[in-house]
Amino acid sequence: MIERAGVPVTERLIFAMGGGGFTMEPNNPLLDDFVLSLARAGEPRILFLPTASGDTTAQINAFKARFFDRTCVAEHLSLFRLRDSTRSLEETVLEQDIVYVGGGSMRNLLAIWHAHELEDLLLEAWRGGTVLAGLSAGAMCWFEAGVTRSSGPPEVIDGLGLLEGSLTVHADGEPERLPVWLAGVRDGALPGGWALDDGVGLLFRGEQLERVVSSRPGAGAQRVDAIAGELVRHRLEPELLLDGPSDALGGLDEAVQELRRVHRMRRGMGRGRAG
Amino acid sequence: MEKDGSLLDDYVLSLLGAARPRVCFLPTASGDADHYVVRFYRRFSPGCEASHVSLFRRDQGTGGVEDDLATHLLSQDLIYVGGGNVLSMLGAWRAHGLDAILRKAWRRGIVLCGPSAGSLCWFEQALSAFHGAPRPVRGLGFLPYSNCVHYDAEPARRAEYHRAVADGMRPGYAVEDGVALHFRGTCLERVVSSRPDGSAFRVEAYGRRVRETPLEVSYLGAPAIVRKPAPARKRGGHAPTPHTPRPVPA
Repeated sequence: MIERAGVPVTERLIFAMGGGGFTMEPNNPLLDDFVLSLARAGEPRILFLPTASGDTTAQINAFKARFFDRTCVAEHLSLFRLRDSTRSLEETVLEQDIVYVGGGSMRNLLAIWHAHELEDLLLEAWRGGTVLAGLSAGAMCWFEAGVTRSSGPPEVIDGLGLLEGSLTVHADGEPERLPVWLAGVRDGALPGGWALDDGVGLLFRGEQLERVVSSRPGAGAQRVDAIAGELVRHRLEPELLLDGPSDALGGLDEAVQELRRVHRMRRGMGRGRAG
Repeated sequence: MEKDGSLLDDYVLSLLGAARPRVCFLPTASGDADHYVVRFYRRFSPGCEASHVSLFRRDQGTGGVEDDLATHLLSQDLIYVGGGNVLSMLGAWRAHGLDAILRKAWRRGIVLCGPSAGSLCWFEQALSAFHGAPRPVRGLGFLPYSNCVHYDAEPARRAEYHRAVADGMRPGYAVEDGVALHFRGTCLERVVSSRPDGSAFRVEAYGRRVRETPLEVSYLGAPAIVRKPAPARKRGGHAPTPHTPRPVPA
């Protein structure tokens, strides 16, 4: 058991995206740079969990393309490919500054995490100050509930419940989810919550929503609650993230560049088949 | 479908009565890896009605069976489970109700097969090495034994399995790569191999000691030779234990 002191609630961060980041926006790094900027470490360790996709090579390669030349130590954790690591899951997860969860089947994601008892580790990581980030299934999973298409048609599904409320994603890109979510909120099957367009992310500090940011002009978010059986909808205006150093860590100094080169070399030597 | 595994594939197809059997592939343990699905169709579509079920791309129209998984799976002659991670596979299966469907399929006489994770899953307990030290994993439990695969491929595997059995894991079967156990009901009927030197063992504890008994293996390459087991590696070796048939649980 790795002992890890908890941090104050106000230092626990979750960043939930309705869509976007390296898998959906290969030419727009704004959300991913914002994720990196949330870590306190100068060169954060970032772990990608592609579980919801079945650890597709496409997602893993997109993650590498995005993060391996940025100021961070990036690796991914496969729960499918054998012999990927001799480290335990606990060691791998608890040493991270950021855990980034990809999209895919939310039903499979949670079931597979549960089979590996990973949700307990993620909870512990969050309490220890690791930033939890993700898009789509990897965003909804932190809430009490979401809307998934894991079995085809959109349906309500329970999440881990680290954050209160429900979340629905791709509100603009996959509009068929929204009516299912709204009906769930209206009839009480779902707690009130947020609907996010692609490109929009919610930053929670503790359990409080702190910022709503976006990588795309025009992308939106809404908060919806049911009051006496009626839906009350509030439109939220996301801050458009800016290119450049304001949200990222600033220019790379030489020492960091050097460190990165060393990490890359080490990774290149230590790695067998990509997994 | 595995390396050198075509003899094993031919063997399992020979167990099916149909001229053009219906064979469904479950690649869950690999995360529904595309290359594995392609390999399956290449191998099985020439002689079979081949299909696959993806639990990751159910909403994406990628050609897998999407609507009624139970009806589809229960109409097969053979369900072929691919290798990969057994824990992830069992987790995903339970989330989609596949564990119950497969139990029903087994009771109906549909042949179930698979390598690696696709072998471990049918047993009550299995030894799975993944992200750290190997540990016992609970399988679907159709076969009331434990199972250890890749027995020759991983140097530490044998000692780990013996330790697990000594520590209370069910008695069971250790199997080298290229070797397959053929069960009828819960009785081991035959052990077959795609390699001339493939071995399999019955492993059981007595007290704190572990006995490893080599099983008679039929090499499937021509000419058919039944190789007599080598002497037991531990003291107390004896002829392969006949296994008491157990009724299929109701």
